[in-house]
Amino acid sequence: MSGKVKGYLILIGLVVISWGIFKVLTPHNFGSPRNLLSYFEASLLAAVGAVGFYFVMVMGMFDFSIGANIMLSAIVGCVFATRFGLGYFGLIVGAIVTGMIVGLLNGFFYVKLRIPSMIVTTGLALIYESVANYIAGGVEQTLPSNLRAFGQMPGNLILAVIAFVIAYLLLNYTKIGTYTYAIGSNEFVAKNMGINVNLYKVLAFIISGAFLGIMAVLTISYGSSMVAVTGMASMSRNFVPTMGCFFGVAFKKYGMPLPAIIIGEFVINIIFFGFIALGAPTAIQDVITGLALLIVVTLTTKVTKGEIVK
Amino acid sequence: MSEIRLQVQHVSKSFGITKALKDVSFNIYKGEVHALIGENGSGKSTLTNSLTGIYQKDSGTFILDGKEIHPKNQVEANNEGVSIIVQELGTLDGLTVAENIFLGHEDRFVKMGIKNTNAMNREANDLLKKYGFDRIKAGDMVENYNFEDRKLVEIVKATYFGPKIVVIDETTTALSQEGREELYKQMNRIREEGNTVIFISHDLPEVLRMSDTITVLRDGDYIDTVKSSEIDEDGLKKLMVGREVTGDYYRADYGEKVSDEVVMSVKNVTVPGLIENITFDLHKGEILGFGGLSESGMHEVGKACFGASFDRQGTVTLADGTPINDIPTAIKHSIAYTSKDRDNESIVMNQSIRDNIVLPSLDKLAGPAGMQSDKKQKDFANKFAAEMSTKMQSVEQFVSDLSGGNKQKVVLARWIGADSDILVLDSPTRGIDIKVKQDIYQLMDRMRKSGKSIIMISEELMELIGMCDRIIIMKDGKISSELPRDPQMDENALIASMV
Repeated sequence: MSGKVKGYLILIGLVVISWGIFKVLTPHNFGSPRNLLSYFEASLLAAVGAVGFYFVMVMGMFDFSIGANIMLSAIVGCVFATRFGLGYFGLIVGAIVTGMIVGLLNGFFYVKLRIPSMIVTTGLALIYESVANYIAGGVEQTLPSNLRAFGQMPGNLILAVIAFVIAYLLLNYTKIGTYTYAIGSNEFVAKNMGINVNLYKVLAFIISGAFLGIMAVLTISYGSSMVAVTGMASMSRNFVPTMGCFFGVAFKKYGMPLPAIIIGEFVINIIFFGFIALGAPTAIQDVITGLALLIVVTLTTKVTKGEIVK
Repeated sequence: MSEIRLQVQHVSKSFGITKALKDVSFNIYKGEVHALIGENGSGKSTLTNSLTGIYQKDSGTFILDGKEIHPKNQVEANNEGVSIIVQELGTLDGLTVAENIFLGHEDRFVKMGIKNTNAMNREANDLLKKYGFDRIKAGDMVENYNFEDRKLVEIVKATYFGPKIVVIDETTTALSQEGREELYKQMNRIREEGNTVIFISHDLPEVLRMSDTITVLRDGDYIDTVKSSEIDEDGLKKLMVGREVTGDYYRADYGEKVSDEVVMSVKNVTVPGLIENITFDLHKGEILGFGGLSESGMHEVGKACFGASFDRQGTVTLADGTPINDIPTAIKHSIAYTSKDRDNESIVMNQSIRDNIVLPSLDKLAGPAGMQSDKKQKDFANKFAAEMSTKMQSVEQFVSDLSGGNKQKVVLARWIGADSDILVLDSPTRGIDIKVKQDIYQLMDRMRKSGKSIIMISEELMELIGMCDRIIIMKDGKISSELPRDPQMDENALIASMV
């Protein structure tokens, strides 16, 4: 059996199992075809962010400012679309460019300060949150209904598919993709091959930022508004895209990281909506979701015996 | 004489206060295999790494075909017509075979920013076929191949574009006989095409057989350049060490009876997929050799004796009946182990020599309430580093700054310090020059005489024949034969049961 087929079978197995469990527990208000479609729509949001974040994660870096980036990009996009009257153009360009600037800053400070990406992005997240709060003037930013085509079918699907295709092309058909894996595998050798490692690390953050910008468009369109929270509250938005990205990294060995991210996010959403259908309290949901993350990553990440895991 | 290809002129390079190359000058000609030899730390790799852009030299020039070159990385060196095959793994996981071959040179397959993967794979497959490596497929991920095949990919990567100079840096130590033959074939081809090979190897017979000219370096100084046809092994050793290599290289004794006292008993040991049903006894004061092809399972035997194998079945017991099932028990009961993969499994690279040497002896060095004394540790490390005549500035120096041979000395100093009674030495002289080799052989002989027992695992048959009281040959994970120490034994007897 080829690696890809095996990978798809595992992922489809996960979809069926997670669906099956909740369907048995709560047969009437969960898991109809119509429900599944809406779970899938919801999963597209995080999947778009995750495919971008994958470039950063494969290089061995991390980003704790994902949530702050989404928030800031969504608010800037919304302000451009409404306050400046630029409509969809302002929404999309505003959000994506903001996402890219955030990525550029993350990458720039990371390579210049030479401190771990996790710390740099945590520090910067606080700043992005404050900037978002300042732009929003402390007020919830609402996207009017005539600008919410990307919050429903087919707009959300079209935008997401465009994002996936771009990510696929970048990863498989450009030098950036090759260098992303080369740097992730052995930075020293990559450097010796004439690869400007720092440049490509910054590029990875910019790419990630652009995709988080698209995720911001989908998020504010889906939810219709965005509140600029502060005090690291945006961190809660990091979780779902990061989890999808884990799927990508775990299934990289099967040669299908991007489909794994998309299907992985779908699985996460099935579980999430399953709990809602069950009426489980948030605390229980968090416990089970956290455990599910550990189980999925453990099952899919095959660590060779003796390999050191840090 | 043919035309000059490369002029090395007054090249110097320092690492901190260590002068790795001191004003080195010599010429390399077209259409020759030019060997570069010298002890560990003599500056061979520093010179070739400076030539290929991995290091930047401090002063001096490299003049290639009359034009000065100063590459800043390997790709720039490639563009100048110089490539290198390194000692350790030089391919990258996560990339396909083709992507590895063309890494840094993808632009020819990129149009409007889009990479033509099919064209790249097609060309890589054509190259692999041309080299006779058909079993390697361009589109496969490189991590699906073993070390040996990945080295073959590196050979293609370093030579496909017809470079004027190919540096082969101690690559042969990592290859089996088949892989070596493949490399030799490519070296001959490069020479026949009028290009040049710079060949670094510690294997002097191989150097004499394969090269036309030999340049000797010692402690960063240029010593001499000689014709291979006009010198023998002893002459080379003399040039490398700076004096006659006198005394016995290996042990000289034959016919000494080994004690009947068994110190370790290995019974029916199996590690799934690696070794099967291995049984032997190790005696007091014995050097027991394990030989075979690299994949024969002999390296796993060492791990199994140290309690480091996973899913091991069968028993390893000491004379007092203690079962050895894990590493802490092994160390507690005076067993030492040095891995073949020194840099990853034996040495803590980014720590000092002192930290490395005291590691298994911390309990012994602990003062009241388990407190460690700085002075005690330093004295301890100094004593055993000196006993191994480790070349260093002080024990506070980082191990990563040492040459391969000196790293190995630190590993051995650690276990001598721990006063281990049973030593499992896996490839103790791998990639090490003759002077350090001789030191290690003499140390083993002294240990044997003082009643220590040694399991020596090695791919070098001559050292097994020269050093061991008994040699067990492994094949396909099983014991294939066992031979006692014998002055008449030659390599062929061992090879016959290996393959």
